[in-house]
Amino acid sequence: MSFLSYAWGWLRAPVQWHGSDGIPIRILQHLGYTGLSLLIAALIAVPLGILIGHTGRGALLVVNVANAWRAIPTLGLLVLAVITLGFSPLAWLIPLVVLAIPPILVNAYEGVAGVDPEIRDAAQGMGMTPWQQVLKVEVPVALPLIMLGLRTGAIFVVATATIAAEIGLGGLGRYIIDGLASNNYGEVAGGAALVVVLALVVQVVFVGLRRLVVPAGLRKQERPT
Amino acid sequence: MMWSWIPSNAGLIRQYTLDNAYLGIVPALLGLVISVPLGIACVRWRWLYPPVLSATSILYALPSLALFIVLIPYTGLTDTTVIIPLTLFSLCILLPNVVDGLRSVPGPVRQAATAMGFGPLRRLVQVELPIAVPLVIAGLRIAVVSSISLASVGQLMGIYSLGYFFIDGYQRDFPTEIVVGLVLIIALALVCDVLLVGARRLLTPWQPRRARRGNRRVLRGRAVLEVPEVAA
Amino acid sequence: MATYPIRFLANGCVSLGRPGRWAATLTWQRGAGNVPGQYGLDSKSRPRILAGGAPEGHVLITFEGVTKRYPDGTVAVDHLDLEIPVGQTMVLVGPSGCGKTTSLRMINRMIDPTSGRILLDGQDIQQSDPPDLRRGIGYVIQQSGLFPHRTIEANIATVPLLIGWGKARARTRARELMELVGLEPQMASRYPYQLSGGQQQRVGVARALAADPPVLLMDEPFSAVDPIVRASLQDELIKLQSELHKTIVLVTHDVEEAIKVGDQVAIFRPGGKIAQVDTPERLLGSPADDYVENFLGFDRGIRRLSFLAASGLNLTDSAVVSAGTPAAQAAQAARRAGESWLLVVDADRKPLGWAAVDELESSPVEAKAGGAQLMAYGHTFDVSSDSLRAALDATVLSPAGQAAGVDDLGRVVGVTSYDRLRTAILAADARSAQADVTEAAAES
Repeated sequence: MSFLSYAWGWLRAPVQWHGSDGIPIRILQHLGYTGLSLLIAALIAVPLGILIGHTGRGALLVVNVANAWRAIPTLGLLVLAVITLGFSPLAWLIPLVVLAIPPILVNAYEGVAGVDPEIRDAAQGMGMTPWQQVLKVEVPVALPLIMLGLRTGAIFVVATATIAAEIGLGGLGRYIIDGLASNNYGEVAGGAALVVVLALVVQVVFVGLRRLVVPAGLRKQERPT
Repeated sequence: MMWSWIPSNAGLIRQYTLDNAYLGIVPALLGLVISVPLGIACVRWRWLYPPVLSATSILYALPSLALFIVLIPYTGLTDTTVIIPLTLFSLCILLPNVVDGLRSVPGPVRQAATAMGFGPLRRLVQVELPIAVPLVIAGLRIAVVSSISLASVGQLMGIYSLGYFFIDGYQRDFPTEIVVGLVLIIALALVCDVLLVGARRLLTPWQPRRARRGNRRVLRGRAVLEVPEVAA
Repeated sequence: MATYPIRFLANGCVSLGRPGRWAATLTWQRGAGNVPGQYGLDSKSRPRILAGGAPEGHVLITFEGVTKRYPDGTVAVDHLDLEIPVGQTMVLVGPSGCGKTTSLRMINRMIDPTSGRILLDGQDIQQSDPPDLRRGIGYVIQQSGLFPHRTIEANIATVPLLIGWGKARARTRARELMELVGLEPQMASRYPYQLSGGQQQRVGVARALAADPPVLLMDEPFSAVDPIVRASLQDELIKLQSELHKTIVLVTHDVEEAIKVGDQVAIFRPGGKIAQVDTPERLLGSPADDYVENFLGFDRGIRRLSFLAASGLNLTDSAVVSAGTPAAQAAQAARRAGESWLLVVDADRKPLGWAAVDELESSPVEAKAGGAQLMAYGHTFDVSSDSLRAALDATVLSPAGQAAGVDDLGRVVGVTSYDRLRTAILAADARSAQADVTEAAAES
């Protein structure tokens, strides 16, 4: 049987859609973990990236982060967190946030640091204070990349949250892990299918968000999706 | 940390390290082999690039675990189940690099080659591809590092790699194993990265050593730092 | 169009290391043999063209009614008729968008005309396979376009290797050319990023000359460097041309460069038409209309003088006196000749300075001419090699209103004045008018 037939077979069953292990709950959980981690990561990484991009100090940190972060295995980090922190919310929150920070940080930095020096010059020449330069000029110009960083971060958080089911987290990964444990490929397939759809929906949301947030004049600058 | 565990499990450690290396490097190389001709086609026929790029973006957004699972009915629980999705991910990373690398050939250089009588194929092979090498290697570095770390996720489905130590350590509540696994994966990734940087230096003696300011290339939001710009 | 895949594959085979032969066989149905004037490549040597020296004045490149119209309606070149003589530098000059670069790039088929044809040594270039054609034409562009991934030596040796020279021969040739364009031998193994803009441009020229092509196309080659480097590169081009006698077509927007470097100058109007084609001297002397006159700039009269030789001047000896001559005697001779200033020279006849005759007259009896208060003689001009413009400049700068003409050893030959300059200019005009008449009679 193909993947789709397994998945469909499992998804069709009405029992999946009810109860505390039901699909709607799991979806909400997954979105919850994603949203929370992304929010915290953004709150840390966006201002930090903007700061480093504007002042230029600490760029070395960003360089190293950019080159190194992909090497960190998500499973390893999750498992380590649980072992050291026990089954507290921090055990999954910290790894999720840690893995979401690099793409957001690097892109925020690139966005601000990559602002055309002539634009910066003009802003300063107009008499803007550094704060004004950052808020009124550099951040808006960097917005496309900041949004892209958030979107990329979302990709990784959704994926990591799926794996985090291994350490007991809820969400759609639950189906995969439980299904693997009980050799129920239908459940596994169904879970995987849902995760795929969720990931795509999240991407679409971010694309739409970008359209809302980024001014039309800047949208053209980035290469097309 | 129980240090004694390490020597007593040296064999296992070595085995899984090799497995992980295999599962990380092969997809990256396969991705390269696919992305180079595809990239050349996307540069030659400009209309091809946007749809192909969209397709790879969508693919890249999907969690690796899900993709492994999708393949199970077809490839079972073998290495291939891990290699195919990781190859696709590597492709997603490498394709923009190949295209950008080819496009990074300065206009005057391309013109001069044509004006000197280079046919299109010769120009591609002797001028454009060599100049694209730095960006391609930059992408390859990311692809290899990502694949090495993502390969460990396959352990959840019983496909052996250094991820074994994560699962085993978790189940036995044994942090030493986990730490060893983490360190080894990161070390493996680092070694491959350094080797690729060395390869780049060997292959491109024509580039300035130090990356100068403003030499950073932002490729679709995945900032690639430390890639010297091609001096025209 | 059906031949395109064949030609593309042929090119592919060409790039697999069998240069020339395949492409030649497939595209030259009319027998690529030793037909005189046939533009073609044989595999092992440099491009053959003009077997045996072509006569002076022979036209090498002809534009016949060439038009380039783009899909959006812009006409870059409009029915261009132009003849480019062999062995000379033809400069195409004009404002931006006048079609000069487009015309240049049609010669090596980087652009193809919409209508009309271009003949290279009598042969329509449309009949040549572009890569083959281009291997026989040197091409220098503004940003040099050096291959960043190859050493300087490898860059220069590109076309020779492409047409099948051995590595050793190509390398020797590269070294020769480096010397020709003034690059030190140790640069050979450097990479482009290590060179300055001026040096890169020299490499570009060397690379274009490597296979010894008869034709050299240059598109604003010196515009990207600073004025000092530009001037020296222009001088070197002139020197090179005097040795090599290539047929050079050079595009520039700088009319000064055109006049300095060109044997023939074609001034383009916006819209791709030619306003006037002539030697720089005749352009400056008789511009065809207001547009050309404006384009040439406001002091064309004086600039024209740089084309007239100072050797045509009648210099006078009477204003020259040696330092040892007694002052009173010198003054007397000067009064008789009607001179108010005397140029005092030393024993080698090198100039020392100007002495006012008034002062000489009022100096003590035993004084010598050399003892008087001398004014600096300022600039001199070389009688054999300088132009009337240099003589005029020296005269203007001289406090005495007269300039000293010297020979190549610096010895004074004579002295000129504004009057004498005026006479020389009028005589030169008369001569060139006479030459025009003779030429017109010869052509009719």
